[in-house]
Amino acid sequence: MSERERAAATVAVPKGRRFPPWPQAGRAQRGLGAEESRRERKRRERLEERDAAIPVELYGLKRGTIPLLTACCVLFAVFTLIPIVWIVINSTKTQANIFQSFGFWFARPFEFFHTFGNLFRDVDGDGTYSHWFYNTVLYSVVAGVGATVLAALGGYGFARFEFRGSRLFFAVIIAGLLVPITLVAVPLYLVYAKVHLINSIWGMIMPSMVTPVGLYLMRTYVELSIPRELLDAARIDGASEVRIFFRVALPLMVPGLMTVLLLSIAGTWNNYILPLIIFSTNNLFPTTVGMGLWLQHAGNSGDTNLFPLLVMGGLITIIPMIALFALLQRYWRGGLLLGSVAN
Amino acid sequence: MSSTTEVIAPARRETAARRAPGRRRSAYARRRGRSGLAFVTPFMIVYTLFMVVPLIYAIYQSLYTTKLIGGTTFSGFANYSTVLKSGPFWGGVIRVVIFGGIQIPVMLAIAFFFATTFDLGVAKWGRVFRAIYFVPFAVPIVVSSVMWGFLFDPNYGPFNRLMNSIGFHNFNWLSGNLMVPSIIIIAIWEWTGYNCIILYTALKSVPRDLIEAAILDDTPLWKIILRIKLPLVRPAIIMLIFINTIGAMQLFIEPTILNSYQAGVVTNTYTPVIDIYNTAISNGEYQLGAAMAVVLAFVIIAISVTSLAFRNRRREFG
Repeated sequence: MSERERAAATVAVPKGRRFPPWPQAGRAQRGLGAEESRRERKRRERLEERDAAIPVELYGLKRGTIPLLTACCVLFAVFTLIPIVWIVINSTKTQANIFQSFGFWFARPFEFFHTFGNLFRDVDGDGTYSHWFYNTVLYSVVAGVGATVLAALGGYGFARFEFRGSRLFFAVIIAGLLVPITLVAVPLYLVYAKVHLINSIWGMIMPSMVTPVGLYLMRTYVELSIPRELLDAARIDGASEVRIFFRVALPLMVPGLMTVLLLSIAGTWNNYILPLIIFSTNNLFPTTVGMGLWLQHAGNSGDTNLFPLLVMGGLITIIPMIALFALLQRYWRGGLLLGSVAN
Repeated sequence: MSSTTEVIAPARRETAARRAPGRRRSAYARRRGRSGLAFVTPFMIVYTLFMVVPLIYAIYQSLYTTKLIGGTTFSGFANYSTVLKSGPFWGGVIRVVIFGGIQIPVMLAIAFFFATTFDLGVAKWGRVFRAIYFVPFAVPIVVSSVMWGFLFDPNYGPFNRLMNSIGFHNFNWLSGNLMVPSIIIIAIWEWTGYNCIILYTALKSVPRDLIEAAILDDTPLWKIILRIKLPLVRPAIIMLIFINTIGAMQLFIEPTILNSYQAGVVTNTYTPVIDIYNTAISNGEYQLGAAMAVVLAFVIIAISVTSLAFRNRRREFG
């Protein structure tokens, strides 16, 4: 099936469609979507999933296979949850108890709120966690929105226009996929030293806006979900290109945009080496670098009570990301795969 | 993402189809071309300034040497020959290659196993497990290394107590011999869920009729999985191998953080990126660090291209 047929099928034949992978993209095109409540949607998705699967009885499995496989899943789930459970439990402990009590159960005194309060104070002279947290949010949101805007414009441009050099430009961007982000950090430092961008928040935000992956995802998404015919129809009606982009294309791109937004926010949120290299003022650190610093100092001087802060800081750093991924999971689940469907 | 050639191929095909040979581009087409250029310009500008320029500047810098006496002078490939002859640097490269060579296959096998299980629906509560497995992806690597550092701590860590209580005294998860295996465990913890979700989504798009036909032919389940499903999700697997390889070669955060729990194992040259960081930033030898970064980039590109070539050959014969 050619790409265009695939896109056309997306619009015309809602049943049995595979592209785009987001269920609600097709719904939006059919003018549905908004009315459905969250619970209804969950139920429908569950039913769809059950209908799509081949009944298990047909596989001719031996008795006991399903309990055995479920047990395997449970084992791996335990492995996955061990550190999470550990960090939740130990965020309530004193420094002595973190080391001396049993790691997977609570121990008195209950210090959760005391430690949480300490996140707002400069305990060891390294800096205040709440300040780092603010930085992390600032960098992630600005860079995430910026990356999404750039990827949306660029992906649409590459997917639906041919112009002189478009293939060359795209090849250059794809080559960027092969260049490890960590490796760009040192060269960036060299350039920043020349143009005085060291210790500037833009030195952190601007490179985080460059996501070849995001652009690539958007291009693939536009190719699969926005038919050329739709854009041509708008052109014949006399709409300007800018208007077409905002009124016709953008609404259809929302699920793809959410994936790029989420991935670029998470990428900046988790970034460690770039801020480590370009920031020398503790006030500018994101949580990751701040916690790295705490860890170093906690190891060197045992009495500063930094370990409970470290555990609590880790927990607070994780929670927003897990919440964000959980809330938006119907968007990114299919989007992650886009990288491999273009062929 | 799976390959440069594949990525560009659709665009090329389209262009050829849309522009018949010998036909001149109309004014309309030219105007549209200009708006296309306008759409991609913002990305290209930021990309050029913050990716292309730094890389070119780093290559330029790597050709110079700064001495205390005599200042900065052009030194040709002197930095590169220093890097190429540096035993610790290549030791680090070999270490991350071994790390990736073990971690990636093991992780992909686990991820494929669970993705298949979920796809077939042969385990209960698949949705719940899928959600749980994905959680580590949302955890910053710094935080996961901190958590695992506590768990592996040689003096107080619960895992150490466990080993003690079953008779392994003086067991140290973070000792010289076990550091790489421990980092492999951490990396498997971090990335299996993400890989599993991608494989699961890929498996879901395998046409149902194909599997039904195979079942009607009495094909055993393992054959359906390995002979029908696995080949059909190969593009996704190749993409994952790519992403994971590039990631593994840049191993930096986990050893750096674990160093605080067990001093002395993670040296200044433990992995190539640690080596680059220490050379360029800590020691201030920018030019040498830049040369190391360029060499490492070439190593990564070489590995990627080799695996691509291997794959293309496979496709030709298979």
